[in-house]
Amino acid sequence: MEILYAILIAPFVEMGSYPDLFIQALWDGFVAGTLYGLIALGFVLIFKASGVFNFSQPILVVLAALSLVSFYKMGIPAWISVILVLILFYVLAWLVERLILRQLVNQDGNILFMSTIGLTFIIIGAAQWIFGGVPSAMIVNELGFPNGSLEWPMFDGGVYFEMIDISAAVIAVIMIVILAVFFSKTKIGRGLRAVADDHQAALSVGISLNQIWVIVWFVAGIVALVTGIFWGARSDVSFALQIIGFKALPVLIIGGFTSIQGAIIGGLIIGLGEKIFEIYWGPLLGSGVEGWFAYVIALVFLLYRPQGLFGDKLIERV
Amino acid sequence: MSEKNSVIMEVKNINLRFGGVIAIQNVSFNIFEGEIRAIIGPNGAGKSSMLNVINGFYHPQEGEVWFNGEKRPSMEPYQIAKTGIARTFQNIALFKGMTTIENVMTGRQLKMNKNFFWQMLRYGPAIDEEVQHRRRCEEIIDFLEINHIRKTPVGSLPYGLQKRVELARALAMDPKILLLDEPMAGMNVEEKQDMSRFIIDVNEEFGTTIALIEHDMAVVMDLADRVVVLDYGKLLADGTPAEVQSNQAVIDAYLGVPH
Amino acid sequence: MFYRETGQFKSKYKEELAAFPLAEDKVGIAILLVIAYVFIPIFGIPGLSFEFTMGAIMIPVFIFTITTLGLNILLGFAGQISLGTGAFMGVGAYSCYKIMTIFPDLNIIICVILSGFVTAIVGMIFGLPSLKIKGFYLIVATLAAQFFLEWAFIRVAWLYNYNDSGGIEGTNKEMFGLIVSGPQSDALTRYFIVLTLLVLLTWLASNVIRGRIGRSWMMIRDMDIAAELIGVRPLTAKLSAFAFSSFYIGISGALMVFFWLGAAEVESFDVSHSFTYLFMVIIGGLGSITGSYMGAALVWVIPVLIKEIGKTAFGFDAFVMENFSIIFLGVAIVVILIVEPHGLARLWQITKQKLRLWPFPY
Repeated sequence: MEILYAILIAPFVEMGSYPDLFIQALWDGFVAGTLYGLIALGFVLIFKASGVFNFSQPILVVLAALSLVSFYKMGIPAWISVILVLILFYVLAWLVERLILRQLVNQDGNILFMSTIGLTFIIIGAAQWIFGGVPSAMIVNELGFPNGSLEWPMFDGGVYFEMIDISAAVIAVIMIVILAVFFSKTKIGRGLRAVADDHQAALSVGISLNQIWVIVWFVAGIVALVTGIFWGARSDVSFALQIIGFKALPVLIIGGFTSIQGAIIGGLIIGLGEKIFEIYWGPLLGSGVEGWFAYVIALVFLLYRPQGLFGDKLIERV
Repeated sequence: MSEKNSVIMEVKNINLRFGGVIAIQNVSFNIFEGEIRAIIGPNGAGKSSMLNVINGFYHPQEGEVWFNGEKRPSMEPYQIAKTGIARTFQNIALFKGMTTIENVMTGRQLKMNKNFFWQMLRYGPAIDEEVQHRRRCEEIIDFLEINHIRKTPVGSLPYGLQKRVELARALAMDPKILLLDEPMAGMNVEEKQDMSRFIIDVNEEFGTTIALIEHDMAVVMDLADRVVVLDYGKLLADGTPAEVQSNQAVIDAYLGVPH
Repeated sequence: MFYRETGQFKSKYKEELAAFPLAEDKVGIAILLVIAYVFIPIFGIPGLSFEFTMGAIMIPVFIFTITTLGLNILLGFAGQISLGTGAFMGVGAYSCYKIMTIFPDLNIIICVILSGFVTAIVGMIFGLPSLKIKGFYLIVATLAAQFFLEWAFIRVAWLYNYNDSGGIEGTNKEMFGLIVSGPQSDALTRYFIVLTLLVLLTWLASNVIRGRIGRSWMMIRDMDIAAELIGVRPLTAKLSAFAFSSFYIGISGALMVFFWLGAAEVESFDVSHSFTYLFMVIIGGLGSITGSYMGAALVWVIPVLIKEIGKTAFGFDAFVMENFSIIFLGVAIVVILIVEPHGLARLWQITKQKLRLWPFPY
């Protein structure tokens, strides 16, 4: 009975007795969810536009944050560093297209996927070599993001909203709107979708595959940069970010591999779910459950709704 | 052909829907033991869906399937395969990573039962079983004249041969009923003649009951003992080739009626 | 000229179904076995110290070959992708540790094999989602296993007997009066044990994949719908693949700790290792036993040699060489996928094909 009480009732009593803590947990989960969503967005962009399941998106986030901080440390002004990172990502997109994707046109999705795991290793090795593996702090203030936090007194205590978190949420929303419009309304956006459906067919109607791949990898790089700045602000900039990046996979399962809105909503579900579970149920299991709880949510989704929230049900044919 | 009058398979009042789309609407017909039964109809008439119902890949919302004089309970496809129903597919569904002989051997899967232990040692009962079934597969391969490609990975075979390997795989199951989904689609006249000859041979030598879907009317009229015509998921006609051919509704469905 | 099947007639199906129907293959395998059992123990690898040969090359390569065989059974033969290999090796290692604590007198080889069975059961449980989930999606299920198990290795103190270090450690174990495992065991003894297990497990795997069960895995891999309509029960086929594969992976995990490292913590089983094993399978060749050997050897040995040569010959520091070998792995996988997606095994096959006709081009 005691255990049932601890599982079914005690956590809710706790939520009710300390509503300020609960709201704080919700806000933290919301912010984490936004950032998961942003990483997932990078996956979705490339998948939607080229049918490649890009496993290297998390390491792109690390690379963006790491190179930004490193450029700044070399004495380059913050905003110039950002531009340098963008140039770096453009070059990277071009190299990836030239050296990997172009060689693998029309290959099976599995092979493209595995090639991006190879790419991940190349980037890890190169980034560690060039920028070093020591964690460092993100240059938030230098980039002009507001400092400090809003305090909202409530009940007995208060809830804190870090300014950087608010900025992250606002920028995430803006990016999603821009990308959604870009995909559905512009000519390039529609071309991108055609490529994802069938490489060869897209080529035959005169869409330049190479250009499109460079563009979309570059855009995914921009998304990675934004994600990297805000993740870096929350924790240190280090390769541990990559493990957090894997959390984008459960997000994709929930939101679907091709839905931009799905990425964000999935991110929020994961972010909120794991935060609440960790705080209220985690102690029962000995804490640290954040590491795997997201995958469990995704598994439950897979078993009951394999196509994700925004996918269509597939009818199998033979 | 007196033995052809015992019914081996009967479908009664089948209704199959996908969401709002009606694929099959209240269709009933039967198949006699030992006959060649053709299912024809325009594209989208529900022919392949009908085969999928018979071998249990789709579960119809309403209707019954009777097999061997008994009403078949709801079963998973692998259980239905066990009852003796084999099929080929419209878009070839061979195991691309395996050779011809391996593909044919997969048809014997159900008849093999030696456990993991013997399989690991590949000795004694396991190897005896393997040899015994291999022998049967080689017979079928001889029968269908595909000896020369025995060890070739099927992915690299031309289309016509792939279709034949698929037929061999289905035959290896020693089926009571063989379902052929467009066995001659995309073939030239010569290949069609070969395939027709094999189908007749299988029917006569092994006595296998065959239900097939085919678009080529000339072929159907030559091969089939009886023909079912479907159109938009409904049964349009059922009878001997000659009867069906002269049926006004069928002629309208194929040639179109001015509205 | 040297390698051809012409003139070797088989009059019985049994002969054709043998593991190595060609006489040349039989000779080749015999030579390899003699090298492994006689030459390397006596002469080592030329240019490398005996210590280094055993501890840094031969023993780990053999252990990882068992891992690769296991993962290849799952991925290459049954077509089910897994990123939980590292953690499943952990299951093998931790369960072997527990078995040894509970039954201190049990022969260590039996402990290792029992831990293989434990891993098989755990693998089957985490393989259950594969019945509903296909392709990429299975990555998520196996990552769930990976992270959950990693968490369990830290949080469930029972697994490491509540010791302060939080790791597991081997003690001296005797067998026929010889110390075979633990800090005082001789490298050569461990080498022979690992090698023998590898040979045995290879033989068993090659038997299973050529028989009924192996075919049912390949049917599921190549076209799962058709397999089901022909009569393969997905439940049995997929779970048996998970179980058999995890059995190998569990054994390799136990061997890794008790016959090679001597002690281990959770870091030895983390997700980055899962990737390394995946690389071994892909570079070696999906669905090939020979490939498993080549992949494990290449992916393990080249970075070790790079580091060693970089250190001794050029004096580069370990950090640089570490990164260099990571980059090397990444490049290797991309190049293999571009040149021959079926891995080294296919290249080897093509070479054999050419040898058959040599010296004529056709």
